[in-house]
Amino acid sequence: MCCKDFFKIIDIVKPIFIFFLFQVAQNLPATCAAPCNRLIHSSPPSSIQAEVSKPEGRTTCTLIPGDGVGPELVHSVQEVFKAAGVPVDFEPFFFSEVNPTLSATLEQVTNSITKNGICLKGVLASPDYSNIGELQTLNMKLRRTLDLYANVVHVKSLPGVKSRHQNIDTIIIREMTEGEYSALEHESVKGVVECLKIVTRNKSQRIAKFAFDYATKNGRKKVTAVHKANIMKLGDGLFLKSCQDIAKLYPKIEFESMIVDNCTMQMVSSPHQFDVMVLPNLYGNILDNLACGLVGGAGVVGGASYSPECVVFEPGARHTFAQAVGKNVANPTAMLLCAAKMLNHVNLRFYGDMLRGAIDKVLKGGKVRTKDLGGQATTKEFTYAIINNLR
Amino acid sequence: MAAALSTKVSTLMRYSSPQNVTRMLSQAAPAPIDLQHSNPFAKKVVEAIPMAKYGGRHTVTMLPGGGIGPEMMNYVREVFRYAGVPVDFEVVQIDQKSESDEDLEYAITSIRRNGVGIKGNIETGSARPGVLSRNVGLRNELDLFVNVLHAKSHPGLKTRHRDIDVFIVRQNTEGEYAMLEHESVPGVVESMKVITEENSERVARYAFEFARRNGRKKVTTVHKANIMKLSDGLFLEVSRQLAKEYPEIQHGDMIIDNTCMQLVSNPHQFDVINTTNLYGSIVSNVICGLIGGAGLFSGRNYGDHYAVFEPGTRNTGTAIAGKNIANPIAMLQASVDMLQHLGHNVHAKMIDDAINKTINEDRIHTPDLGGQSTSIDVVQNIIKYLQQSAKKTNW
Repeated sequence: MCCKDFFKIIDIVKPIFIFFLFQVAQNLPATCAAPCNRLIHSSPPSSIQAEVSKPEGRTTCTLIPGDGVGPELVHSVQEVFKAAGVPVDFEPFFFSEVNPTLSATLEQVTNSITKNGICLKGVLASPDYSNIGELQTLNMKLRRTLDLYANVVHVKSLPGVKSRHQNIDTIIIREMTEGEYSALEHESVKGVVECLKIVTRNKSQRIAKFAFDYATKNGRKKVTAVHKANIMKLGDGLFLKSCQDIAKLYPKIEFESMIVDNCTMQMVSSPHQFDVMVLPNLYGNILDNLACGLVGGAGVVGGASYSPECVVFEPGARHTFAQAVGKNVANPTAMLLCAAKMLNHVNLRFYGDMLRGAIDKVLKGGKVRTKDLGGQATTKEFTYAIINNLR
Repeated sequence: MAAALSTKVSTLMRYSSPQNVTRMLSQAAPAPIDLQHSNPFAKKVVEAIPMAKYGGRHTVTMLPGGGIGPEMMNYVREVFRYAGVPVDFEVVQIDQKSESDEDLEYAITSIRRNGVGIKGNIETGSARPGVLSRNVGLRNELDLFVNVLHAKSHPGLKTRHRDIDVFIVRQNTEGEYAMLEHESVPGVVESMKVITEENSERVARYAFEFARRNGRKKVTTVHKANIMKLSDGLFLEVSRQLAKEYPEIQHGDMIIDNTCMQLVSNPHQFDVINTTNLYGSIVSNVICGLIGGAGLFSGRNYGDHYAVFEPGTRNTGTAIAGKNIANPIAMLQASVDMLQHLGHNVHAKMIDDAINKTINEDRIHTPDLGGQSTSIDVVQNIIKYLQQSAKKTNW
């Protein structure tokens, strides 16, 4: 009897309930249109600071073409900027370790970057030997002087670029001022060389906080710390501990850790599990290159190095591509992406998005491609294609 | 008569026998006193976390709050966009109706991470005694021990007094706002006012240090030590002691009731006012009322490591929310203060100039200043000036 009654009630309530559900379903898209449409793995949320901002002041940017094909790529950026009417003036410096006589001094370059706050930089070649017994490379000196501690490489599959995996969208954040790159090496006994790897709590926390702040700012959900604390229990252990400490301040972002060898395997087999990754210096370098390889090589991935005061935008994988100098075949995509990032950084979103849109359009079209992406186009042709596609 | 007597006796009895008291506490599910003791009022020791500043861009926590807060924050963002300010906002919404402190805690964590926050006034929806006031909770947790308000007359406004330029330095975390209240006997409520030597000294030192750095001549300590001889007495004593370290700055003290009278009759005698929490609130509201009202002035809250900027008189403005008549100047001024704190002086000056021109030259005033313009009119006029100066500026 009691049971029967109950079912009766259910029968009466059912249509109301279903109607309610229908209502909810109808209401859903309207109420949460913005957050629902945007996938987790997508570019930064379009904030209020979008499009319309088209200020008329001019910005100065330090320009270091770098070695190898650097000057050609930078020329391509300048052409595009000229065509788009971007209000940015460049302050160029020839800066090179392999050509010390022509190179500007470190002081000149750092002064300029400190003054301007932004810099677009090609790749500097670092020879494996040094005639004068210098252990630090020019790159390292630049980073140390400016305290460029955080390198961000946004590994993102490009439209129309064929690669093993599709839709990769990972941000790799690498500590750049300590770890294996301490330049502290010595031969304690003949035939025995010691190379010191330095890990400090301050710098580890700083890079961890950078990673979490970056994730917060860009609406990312997860941060993965990569380490080798099972072997280097003290050094990498400290790095891991620092990351864990900082993670507590970010209750809304998931934190996980992974050992570097496993991480490289996971990266090539299922790269979609990674969102934001934070790594010490050498692991970061390796992972950067590995991930760049996954989405199309050194020519298509942009990156940036941050200090508290300034940013240096440079390609994600460091290859000078010296064998192609003067051949007009290098792919300027990476450099153009860096330039687009730079424009967004200085509130020139209008131009940044325009450039970004043009790159996507050309790549998606697939007609104009440089050799590294399986096409026949030259650097110049690619540049002109970009210019023709500027909105 | 007899009945009244018997209830009185029973009340007394209840308090004399300990078992009854414990029973009462367990019955009255969360008694205010329990909650207060689970959340004891003590100086929070906070450690520094590096600021979120990368590549010259800052991230700042934005708490829009209630009432007109969200509108005002949109104006701030709009203005920042046109001024090309290198600041990004992390917006944290606090659910005003919620009884839990989860949102508040997240907001506090966010300010810890970023180092700096800008906020509207947050209403505490729940009147339950255990629910922390959002604003007070934020200040206490971050140990923002001092509040600074700059009351400066705008020449373009018709007000009772002209050329007022007073800084009010106010203790922000203790005093009457200790939130320690209890009913010791039914019908008798005690509210504790807590004054500590340490916090009094920090505030007084801030006031004197501020006076010295900004070329101010005089610090006036406002108190009521003739009545509260111990608590306000301590505050006054600490200020007097500190004043000896700053011989170039004149130090005076004044009783709060007299101060209020002096403020409305002859406000020019004040330069920097150093005061406790509640008096500070009263004094700043009086002085803001004298020279233009709640819509014009900004307040800054500083702790050892963090800073939070907000409109100076802490009103939510719920009544005028959504009507496009609220004065956006207070919040914009708060954002200017924030930019100065972050060291973006060029942008701060740009916006400040635009605000000044709008109020004093173009005289575009919202109804609270006796004008006819809407909030958007004011903001658009400011943006017009920003566009002009952006042409000349290289950022």
